[in-house]
Amino acid sequence: MMRRHSLLDRATLAGAYLAGCLLVPAMSSAQIDRTKPPAPGPAPSVQLGAHSTFELSNGLEVIVVENHKLPLVSVQARFDVPPVLQGDKVGYVDLVGELLPSGTGKRSKAAIDEAVDRLGATLNTSNDGVYISGARHNLPAMLELMSDVTTNATFPESEFGGAILRYRSSVQQRRDDPNAIAESVGRSVTFGRAHPYGEVTTERSLSNIRAEHLRDYYRHFIRPEKGYLVFVGDITVKDAKALAKTYFGKWKVRSAVVATLPDGTPELEHLGAVRTLSRARTASVKRRIHIADRPGSEQSVIRVSLPLNLHPSDIRALNAQVMNTILGGGVFNARLMQNLREDKGWTYGIYSSMEADRFNGSLTISVSVRTAVTDSALAEIFTELERMRTDPVTAQELELAKRYMAGAFGRNLEDPRTVARFALNTRLNNLPEDHYATYLQRLEAITEEDVRSAANAFIAPDKVAVFVVCDAKQVREKLVPLSLDTQQPVVELDVNGEPWKEDITPVGDRTAEQVQEIYLYGIGGREAIAAIHHMRMELTAEMAGVPVEITQWYGLNGKYKSVAKANGMTVQEVIYDGTRAVSRTPQGSEELMDIDLFDLLLNARPVPEMDLKGLVERSILNGRTTLEGKPAYKVTMMTTAGTTVIDYFDVEKGLKLQRMEQKFMYGRNLNVVTRYSEYQPVSKVLLPHFMEQSGGPMGSVTMRVQKVVVNEAMPDSFFDTGLPSLDDEKEEDLYYPPPEEKIDE
Amino acid sequence: MGPAPYTVAAAMLVATATSTAQTRAIQFEEFDLENGLHVILHQDRSTPIVAVSVMYHVGSKNEDPTRRGFAHFFEHLLFEGSENIARGEFSKLVESAGGVLNANTSGDRTYYYEVLPSNQLELGLWLESERMLHAKVDQKGVDTQREVVKEERRQRYENQPYGSILIEVLKRAYQVHPYQWPTIGFMEDLNAASEADYQAFYKRFYVPNNAVLVVAGDIDVEQAKALVRKYFKDIPKGQAVQQPSVVEPPLPREIRDVVYDRIQLPAVVHAYRIPALGTTDFYAVDMVNRLLSNGNSARFNRNLKDAQQKAVFTGAFSLPFEQPGLAILFAVANAGVPVDVLDKAMDEELHRIHREGISAEELAKLKAQLEVESLEQNSRVAGVANNLATAYMLLGDTRLINTELDRYMALTPADIQRAAQVYFAPWNRVVLHYLPLSQQNQ
Repeated sequence: MMRRHSLLDRATLAGAYLAGCLLVPAMSSAQIDRTKPPAPGPAPSVQLGAHSTFELSNGLEVIVVENHKLPLVSVQARFDVPPVLQGDKVGYVDLVGELLPSGTGKRSKAAIDEAVDRLGATLNTSNDGVYISGARHNLPAMLELMSDVTTNATFPESEFGGAILRYRSSVQQRRDDPNAIAESVGRSVTFGRAHPYGEVTTERSLSNIRAEHLRDYYRHFIRPEKGYLVFVGDITVKDAKALAKTYFGKWKVRSAVVATLPDGTPELEHLGAVRTLSRARTASVKRRIHIADRPGSEQSVIRVSLPLNLHPSDIRALNAQVMNTILGGGVFNARLMQNLREDKGWTYGIYSSMEADRFNGSLTISVSVRTAVTDSALAEIFTELERMRTDPVTAQELELAKRYMAGAFGRNLEDPRTVARFALNTRLNNLPEDHYATYLQRLEAITEEDVRSAANAFIAPDKVAVFVVCDAKQVREKLVPLSLDTQQPVVELDVNGEPWKEDITPVGDRTAEQVQEIYLYGIGGREAIAAIHHMRMELTAEMAGVPVEITQWYGLNGKYKSVAKANGMTVQEVIYDGTRAVSRTPQGSEELMDIDLFDLLLNARPVPEMDLKGLVERSILNGRTTLEGKPAYKVTMMTTAGTTVIDYFDVEKGLKLQRMEQKFMYGRNLNVVTRYSEYQPVSKVLLPHFMEQSGGPMGSVTMRVQKVVVNEAMPDSFFDTGLPSLDDEKEEDLYYPPPEEKIDE
Repeated sequence: MGPAPYTVAAAMLVATATSTAQTRAIQFEEFDLENGLHVILHQDRSTPIVAVSVMYHVGSKNEDPTRRGFAHFFEHLLFEGSENIARGEFSKLVESAGGVLNANTSGDRTYYYEVLPSNQLELGLWLESERMLHAKVDQKGVDTQREVVKEERRQRYENQPYGSILIEVLKRAYQVHPYQWPTIGFMEDLNAASEADYQAFYKRFYVPNNAVLVVAGDIDVEQAKALVRKYFKDIPKGQAVQQPSVVEPPLPREIRDVVYDRIQLPAVVHAYRIPALGTTDFYAVDMVNRLLSNGNSARFNRNLKDAQQKAVFTGAFSLPFEQPGLAILFAVANAGVPVDVLDKAMDEELHRIHREGISAEELAKLKAQLEVESLEQNSRVAGVANNLATAYMLLGDTRLINTELDRYMALTPADIQRAAQVYFAPWNRVVLHYLPLSQQNQ
C-alpha cells in the first residue's frame, strides 16, 4: 500500500515578503538613491516538497523524501515514546540512548564504532530513536548497521560500567558549570521534581541503575508498531521500500509487560511499574525565586519559565509562537534583546522559547548577565512579560515577526530533512494533514488581537518559576523584593535541585575550643594579641551602595567607640565604656541594652575569641564542611543571650572565614552573614582587612580596613558614654604608661 | 536557536576542508571591480534564498597591541548603522525582509552575512555597501556594544569551566606574533579606545581592496553582477593593507604550566605549533588530529575513553590560521583519574604514531569521513558563501573549494607519520594541566 502526498506543490510565499515594486529596478541610471532601502523583487514561490509513505507488515511506517541534489542520504528510526517518571533511577532513559550503539547480537561497541567510521557515516542515538547519515553509495551498509543497532541492541554489562562512570563524572562536573545547572535544575524548578521533564540525575540515582533496566525500557518502547523509518536524500521510493523490507521487515518484539496495574500502568520485569505523565502541569503558585550558589561567578545565569498546557495541534499554538518571536524568540529585534542588550548592555544575548509539546508545553527565557545587574535584569524581564499582556504589539512588530517566521520557514526547506520532519511531526502530534501546507496562510492571518490573547492565555508574570545560578552572597538579598512568596522569598537549591543542605563530615580528633585556639595561634598567638591594648581602625564601607567612613577605637576592658560618617556627616556613634553602651544617630540617642549590648560585647573587640567567658554557654564543633570551595570547620556557639552564632574556620590555616548570627532587629528575624578575608598583619597579629556582610538591616555591606594605629594613647574619658550615671560611685582613673605608637597601613 | 548575534569565530575550531567531490563541483564566477573588490557569484536555484556576505581581511592579528580585541569590537559596531541607516535599523531591515544576519571575527578575518529571500538580493547588497562605504556609530552604540562585548567575554570565556583554555594556550604559545592574544581581546584595551581609533581602523581595513563579496543562491547571474556594480563600484579604493610579517621563533623548549579553574575534573591540554593553513603539512597535521579524535573509533576515543576509561571527553583540532597556528589536543579526566596518568596516556597515543605510523585501512577511513564531510559542508548556500570567501582570502585560490579535498586524498601513511614526528613533539608544545581550584594551595 502506498500513499502519495503533496503537502504543497507550489505555494507562493504570498505576502510573506514585503509588498513592493514588482519590477527589477532600472540600473542604467548612473546615480543611485542610497537614502532608502531598495524595494524587493517579486516574491518567489516556495516548494514545500513531497513525501511518500508506506507501512511494513509489522506496523513500522516508512516516510521517504527524495532529494537528489547531493549524493547524500540519511535514515532515521523514530519511536513514539512518552516521557516516563524514572523515580529513584533518574538517568536510565538517557543511558538507553547512550548505550544503544554499544553492542548487538553480532557486534561489539568497537565493531560498531569501526563500521560507522569506515563508512564515513554519522550515527546518533537517543532513547527514542537512531539516526544515520552518509554517502549514497554506502546506503545498504549503513542501513544494515542502523537496523542492527535499532533492533538487536544488547546493552552489554562490559560497556555499562564505563558509561555509568562517565555519566557520574559529568554529574560531578555539573557543580561548576552554571549552564548545566541552569538547564538540569532549571527544568526541575519549571516542572517540579516529580515530573518526567523535571527529574534530575544525581550520583545516587545513577547508583540504582542496572543494565536490565535499560533492556526493559528498550524492549517495551522500541517496537516496530510504534515506529517510523524516515529516508531523506538521494534515494528513490522504490529503493527505500526494498531496503526497509530487507532490514526492518522481519523485526518483531515480544511484549516486555509482565503485569498491568488496575489503572492500566504496565509493569516490567526489572523496572516495575512504568509511569508516564497523567496530565500537563501548569503554573499554580506565586512567583518564587530559586537560586543555586556558584561562588565567584562572573555572571548570573537566569532562567524564567512557565509550564504550559499547549499542544502542537492547539489552534493557538502559532499565535503563541508569533507572540514569543516578538518577546524574545530568535529575532534580534525582539523586545527582550532590544531592552537588555541593545539598550542596557547587560548581556551578550537573551532569548525566549515557546515549546508547544504534546505532553507539557513551556515558555522559557534564558540569559546570562553580569552579577551586579542580576536583580535589575530580572525586574526588566518581569516588566517585558507584563508588557506583552498590556502594551499592544505594534503593526511594525507584528509584521517583522511574521516576515521573519515566513523567511525562516522558507530557509529551513533548503534542508530536505525539514519536509521529513514535518511529515513525522504531523503523525506524532496528530496534526491535520495540511498543517504545514497552510502554515504561511495561517501565519499571514494572525492579528494584533491574536497575539494579545495568546499573551493573556500563556503569560502569567506573577506565576513564573525563576531560577538563578549565581554568586549567592552578592545576589541573594537583592532578589528578595522580586519574589511574591512572603514565606520563602528566595529558596536556595543545591546542584541536584534539592533544597540546599550543608554537607558536614563529623570530626573526632578535636573540639570546638581547640579549633578556636588554632585560630588564635594562626593569627599570631595569644601573647601577640594581648599586646594590643588599644587600637584605632579606619575603614571605608559601602552600605546599600552608599559610601561610609568608619573609625573604630578599641580600649582596655572592652571599651569601644565607633563613628560612622557619610558625606562628612556623622550618621552613627556607638560608645561602650566597659559597663554601658550608647548609640547616637541624628535621630537621637539610646542606651543599648540586653541583646543589643550583648551583640556589641561579642563583636566589638579586636579578637573576641580571646575570651568568650560570660558570652558563650557552650561551643560545639559540628564538623568539617566546605565554604566557597575551601575545607572549613564549622563551630556553633550557644550564647548566654540565648542566640546561636556559627563560625567557620579554614582547615588549613586556621583563619576565621565567616560568622553567621541570628538577630532580631526592626521586628524582623535576620540571619546576618559576615565573611572575613584579606588577613594582613597588624603589630604581629593577622586581622581581616576586608569584610562582607549580608542579611543585615542595611542589606549588603562591605568594609575595607584602610589604616590601623596600635597602642596610641587615649584618655579614658574618650569612651565616656555621656549617659546619666546609675549610681554615685566614681570610677577610678586608670593609669598606664604612654604606649609606643605603631602605624600599620 | 544559535548563539547570540555577532560572535567571535575563535570557536571555529575545525579545519576548513572546504572541498567537495569532483562530480559535484561548486560552480562560481569571480572578478574584480576597479576599486579592487573581489566578487564571487554562485548560482543555486533549488531554494528561493540568497546569501550575501563580505569577508574583510582583518582580524585580531592586525590589531595594535594596545587595542587587543578591537577587530571584534569593531565588528559589533558595524551593525550600528551608516549615513543612511539609523541605529537599530540594520537588523530591522533584514528581519522584516524575512532574513537573518550575523557576523564573526577570527585572528585573520571578519565575516558579515545576510541570508534573505532571493527577491531581497538588492537589499542585502545595499546594506553591505553601506557598511563598506560610510558606516556610522554614535556614542550610545559604542558604550552599549562595549558592555555587550564584556558580557560576551564573561559568558563564553570566564563563566564556564575550561572556558579560558584558548586564552591560556595562546599567551604561552606565542611571544612575538599577535596570535598571542585572543580575538575577544582584553577589556582594558577596549575601554581605552577612542574616536580616532575607530576612524583609523575603518579607513585602513574596511576598504574594497581588502574584501571579498560573495553572492550565493537563487540568482540571475547577469542581474546580480549589475547590482553588485551598482552598489559597490563607486566605493573608493583604499591603501593596500599589509599583513603582519612577524615570524614567531620556535618555542625554546616544552612549556608546562598549571591553570586552576572552577572545575571538578582535571583536564590536559597539549598545544603544538603547526604550519599555516593551506600548506601541505597543515593537511597532514589535520589528519593526525582526525586519527586521534574524529569518530568513536578514533584513537583517543577508543583507547582513552573506552578501553582505559581515563577520559570522559577528548578532542584534537587545528586552529585554521593563515599564519602558523596550533593543533590543540585535550582530554578531560574521568572521576578519580590523576592528571599525570591522563597526560601520559595522551602521549602514548602520539608515540604509537611516531613508532608505527598509520595503517592503510585507517587512512582509508579518514578519507571516507572527509569525502562525506566535504559534501555536507556545501549543502546550504550560506555554507557555500563562507567556504568560497575563505578559499579565496585565506587559501589564496577560490578553486580550492572544489580541490582542497584532493590535498587530503593525496596524503600517504608516510606523510602522516612524518607530520606526527615533526610537529607533535614535546619540544614544540605548550602543556597545560587544568586543576580544580580546591587543589591550589595543597
